[in-house]
Amino acid sequence: MRGIQIQLPSEFAVLEPLQIFIEGLGAAAGVEEDELSSLSVSVIELVKNGMEHGNGSDPGKMVTISVDSFDSRIRFFIDDEGTWAPENAPGFRPGEGEELLSTRGRGVLIARNLARWVEYGLTPEGKTRVTLIWPLN
Amino acid sequence: MKDGVLIISLSGKVIGGPDLMNVKTAFQNAVNQDIDSVLLDLGKVSWMDSSGLGIIVSGHTTLSRAGGALKILNATKKINELLIITKLSTIFETFSDETEALASFGE
Repeated sequence: MRGIQIQLPSEFAVLEPLQIFIEGLGAAAGVEEDELSSLSVSVIELVKNGMEHGNGSDPGKMVTISVDSFDSRIRFFIDDEGTWAPENAPGFRPGEGEELLSTRGRGVLIARNLARWVEYGLTPEGKTRVTLIWPLN
Repeated sequence: MKDGVLIISLSGKVIGGPDLMNVKTAFQNAVNQDIDSVLLDLGKVSWMDSSGLGIIVSGHTTLSRAGGALKILNATKKINELLIITKLSTIFETFSDETEALASFGE
């Protein structure tokens, strides 16, 4: 499975269809059934960050997901149209004290723990790109 | 209501968006009616991400400020995993037995 790319407007309505799509794609690539929802949670957390922090929740701005499956792993590129600083986003680190009770954030923390390999970088155009690698057993 | 505890049950996918505001409103409505003990039943939630956690935290804050408590019933394996990752497991009491959960509010 190579070169799959989808573009989504930055609006919540696309998330449920995306969840179904990601789990179907994961199943086709060999992700175990019990792990499919963890995969979709990880991807959707990162997509929502791109929509909100990168694209300012502007439905006219897109999040692009590119997927390639290899023998032992699936790679997702999740690109938004912004230049935000993910290290400043809530949830990049585990919360402590009062921060633990924030009603927002936690997305990157969850994705990092479920997928274990999540890195931020830039697209060739200098926009924010997050790479998620999901291991296949 | 059971034993003075309001039980709120969520079901299906908790994925974010405007629907979650209804849950937030339900917590506030409970406090407005002098109900400060809420048991949130997550047994029928098939999918949840950080948006759901945010709503649970919001309920906790609303009820704590009123001198009450929000406790969780029937968290699935996946939801428990999220609670542990985010350390919210250190904040919330979780139960798998409703009778035990209801009794805990009186302790």
